[in-house]
Amino acid sequence: MSRMSGANRGDLRAWARRHGYSLLSSVGTLIRNPITSALTISVLAIALTLPLGLNTALVNLEAVHDNLDRLDSISVFLDVDVDEGGARRAGSRLSNWRNILAVDPVSPDAGMRELAGASGLDRFDVGDVPLPWVLEVTPNSSVDIAELAQRLRRAQQVDMVIVDLDWVRRLDAILGVFSRLVVLLAVLFAASVLFVISNNIRTEIQRRREEIEILALVGATPGYIRRPFLYSGLWMGLGGALLAWLAVHAGLWMLTGPVESLAATYGASAELVAPPLEMLAGMLAGSGALGIFGAWIAVSRQLARINP
Amino acid sequence: MIRFEHVAKRYPGGVQALSDVNFELERGEMAFLTGHSGAGKSTLLRLIAVLERPSRGQVLFDGKNIGRVSSRQIPKLRRKVGVIFQDHKLLTDRKVLDNVALPLLIAGFSWSEIRRRVRAALDLVGLLDKENTLIPALSGGQQQRVGIARAMIAKPPVLLADEPTGNLDPELSEELMRLFCTLNELGTTVLIATHDLDLVERLGRRTLVLESGCMVDDRNAGSIGADNSEGANS
Repeated sequence: MSRMSGANRGDLRAWARRHGYSLLSSVGTLIRNPITSALTISVLAIALTLPLGLNTALVNLEAVHDNLDRLDSISVFLDVDVDEGGARRAGSRLSNWRNILAVDPVSPDAGMRELAGASGLDRFDVGDVPLPWVLEVTPNSSVDIAELAQRLRRAQQVDMVIVDLDWVRRLDAILGVFSRLVVLLAVLFAASVLFVISNNIRTEIQRRREEIEILALVGATPGYIRRPFLYSGLWMGLGGALLAWLAVHAGLWMLTGPVESLAATYGASAELVAPPLEMLAGMLAGSGALGIFGAWIAVSRQLARINP
Repeated sequence: MIRFEHVAKRYPGGVQALSDVNFELERGEMAFLTGHSGAGKSTLLRLIAVLERPSRGQVLFDGKNIGRVSSRQIPKLRRKVGVIFQDHKLLTDRKVLDNVALPLLIAGFSWSEIRRRVRAALDLVGLLDKENTLIPALSGGQQQRVGIARAMIAKPPVLLADEPTGNLDPELSEELMRLFCTLNELGTTVLIATHDLDLVERLGRRTLVLESGCMVDDRNAGSIGADNSEGANS
């Protein structure tokens, strides 16, 4: 029993050593050809940066979109003859409705100031036209806005109900297109990672034909011959993913200033969201796996040609 | 140990390298394989190392028909056969040390054990001081000896050599043959393909003669007649 486990331990140790030698050999190959390695990893990084960058842009736009959801409010214009007291009473009446979360009465003066601010003018002269009180109604999130607007229109003292949802819907649709695009690009570029790596390994194999043949001659198993190339594929995949990650971060860093200026013009503050660390982990795993897979394809084809 | 039964080998393209070869090599035997170039010597060796498969007949290694083994088992068989190639087959971008170490790396030996064995093997072939030299910096004869060190380092039961003295001067050839004899005395089965007939005669070992793909002679030359094999009179 103890002898058997000893033998197994010996086997395990030999196996671990073989893996260690393959790993060292793959690193050695990368280091011996620094320019080729750097070029390949750069190409992979660019291929991965595009979908990752687009995804980051999407995440940030969605954050903006979530902020905009608060603007999903309904503007209820009261009759012009309703005074402050009447407006506040109407407001508290509406806030008791089941579908309404909050009601915010806006005085004609405040409305004027907001309008002036939004149009960029100091003063907005509308002459003697009297402005009404407006109730900004925030509906419950699950409510059918169109139906609620219809009911509000029928309420007492209400002159007009404005629901400006079109552009929110439009943004929604655009984001939908964007996220589909991200998926498409991700698939496309994942395929390109596969091809770049397997093509690279293929040329590497051509270059090392003699070595592969000699290894086979002295009794190396296909697994042993394949292993350094699989490690090379893994390194390239990992390197590409890491570089893409850094590139996206660099891009975010460069965009922070301009985006903040842009947000400032809307009187808002904006903070760019970096892709989460889980995504880095996912990319490393995915790209590494693609690297191994690409190398596997290339080596297996070549090995079949060499063995009788 | 090794037994050929009606072995024929025809390469794609119609070249008939071997026609009908029968012989047996006992465990621990040492024999020479001679014949003109193109007689099929290399093919015969390649069949033993499973670098080729026979078109007809059987090649038995330890009683196993190695012409029929699955490709998964080929690496295991090749580790039992150390081959010294005519064109050395060395990794030209590596050091002597890395080349000789190859079979041990594949077997998963520890690096310290590998170093120790490589030094011992290089000492045996007289290249101890060349451990860290790159292959192209060596002469043809030195490269040949690196190939020999590599072939014997994992102590395979069978050693095959294809024209091992082709690039060597007579003195070195002599030395090398003594090395083969030593390995043989330690129990290794040795088969050497050569056309250096002088050398063969001087050593007085069993000699197999190939001629255009057929075994035309099998003689137990000279004094050592005890290990007569059954194929001798065919």
